[in-house]
Amino acid sequence: MTRLVGAELLKLRTTRTFWAVSGSALGLVLLIVVLTVAIEDAFGAEHDVIDLLATVGLCGLLTLVLGAVVGAGEYRHGTIATMLLVTPQRLRAVAAQVVACALGGFAIGLVIAAITAAIALPWLAAKDAAIPDAGELVQVFAGSAVYAGFAAALGVGLGALLRNQVAAVVIVFVQILVVEPTLAALIDGYAPFTLTGLGAAMTGVEEGSGVFAPGTAVLVFALYAALFAVLAATRTARRDI
Amino acid sequence: MPVVLEVRDLTKRFGPNLAVDGLSFKATPGRVLGFLGPNGAGKTTTLRTLLGLTLPTSGTAMVDSRPYRELEEPVKVVGAVLEGPQFHPGRTGRNHLRVMAAAAGLPAGRVGEMLRLVELNGAGDRRVKGYSLGMRQRLSLAGALLGDPRALVLDEPANGLDPQGIRWLRDFLRAQAAGGRTVLVSSHVLAEMAQTVDEVVVISRGRLVAQGSLDELTEGAEAPIWVRSPEPDRLRAALVATDNVRAERGEAGAGWLAVRGASLEDVGTTAAENGIPVFELYRPRQSLESVFLELTGATEAGR
Repeated sequence: MTRLVGAELLKLRTTRTFWAVSGSALGLVLLIVVLTVAIEDAFGAEHDVIDLLATVGLCGLLTLVLGAVVGAGEYRHGTIATMLLVTPQRLRAVAAQVVACALGGFAIGLVIAAITAAIALPWLAAKDAAIPDAGELVQVFAGSAVYAGFAAALGVGLGALLRNQVAAVVIVFVQILVVEPTLAALIDGYAPFTLTGLGAAMTGVEEGSGVFAPGTAVLVFALYAALFAVLAATRTARRDI
Repeated sequence: MPVVLEVRDLTKRFGPNLAVDGLSFKATPGRVLGFLGPNGAGKTTTLRTLLGLTLPTSGTAMVDSRPYRELEEPVKVVGAVLEGPQFHPGRTGRNHLRVMAAAAGLPAGRVGEMLRLVELNGAGDRRVKGYSLGMRQRLSLAGALLGDPRALVLDEPANGLDPQGIRWLRDFLRAQAAGGRTVLVSSHVLAEMAQTVDEVVVISRGRLVAQGSLDELTEGAEAPIWVRSPEPDRLRAALVATDNVRAERGEAGAGWLAVRGASLEDVGTTAAENGIPVFELYRPRQSLESVFLELTGATEAGR
């Protein structure tokens, strides 16, 4: 399995898609963080700084898209056949891809978190902002990276299920930008179960009653990702390629 | 260990469409088996089923006595070239092979070897979207050979190859078979197949219509033997003295006889025993193309 995951990671980083999504995620996060730090004069409360740094979690949306593109791309480009000729045990093949994308997403999250920290923290300190303690910083950055990892895994499952890149990406955006906010507004207690709600809980941005603890949020998101992975693997196992 | 590829009573249905209908054949080591059929005959479906990509409706498709999915190291058992897209256009040829090698646990050095073998070493670091059809086909072949497999399943491997490439492929397949490997190859380039294969399986509309060695199929058992002699009447009398042998004056010209019911050896021996000179003696061969058209045409017409 390690061998297969290694091959999938190689597959991931030998296309421009991975680097384009990583670059876009980094650019988006840095743009927001840099503009905010530059424009805002005061960051009085630690919570303001945490909210700002949690922007890193935005990369989860892009790793979700990356996963969907990768999962559906196997069918678009016909590379699923090559993949299954080398690894005819389809459940293993899909599992390896899900794990590799999760690791890839996690790595993207970590790198963006590190770059953001390196740029924002000294700048914020120079502006006399209330810098949170190390534990809170680790939670916001690690939570964002874990969120990005699971989002990528979920995306792969979705993409492999749908087999159509455009449909998969459109569904991702519609889910995040339309379905989740609408359902959260209509159904009491639904907000913590949304992908964005879980992301916020993982990074510790949202706390208090009605919000999952970070560990619970990780577990719920992992269940979502596992559900899609199992559906994709089962469907792939029964499908003619 | 040699590998046998075997399809037994294979049926594959896509919804209401019957793609393969009770097909059985076997590809054996040391031989190149040509898999022929018109477009839509079920060749690709059969090969993809053999490779575990398509699931049979009924029957079996076995590689080394097992379904492909149960092979532990499939790339070391069977190398496959499939029809249709199978590369990410943005990945380089070398990286495509590197991914395959990594997944199969093969040494990275095999990648360079295979690129050199298919003469793509100069283009290995270019993205596949810049490859010609022939280059993609060569890359596909490199992937098939990566694990040094004991059998090859090739679906239209000559597609897009230039004449030198086709020649290379022919020599390569012959060498593979001579080395004891099992080679199953589908193609619609019949003239090329005639120079490459030892045996042929012909299918039409998913059904087997003919199977046998190339010689058997092209020999034309129904065609007469032609013999030219300065004493055609004496020869004719000597030949028809044997039961079931018929000999008639041919339309080809004076001295020619068309002989049915006897082998070339029978005619030659009879002539020698009776002291009758023979100037020419042969059984005309049909081309693989005419055999193919005859066989598949008959099936189409029978529907």
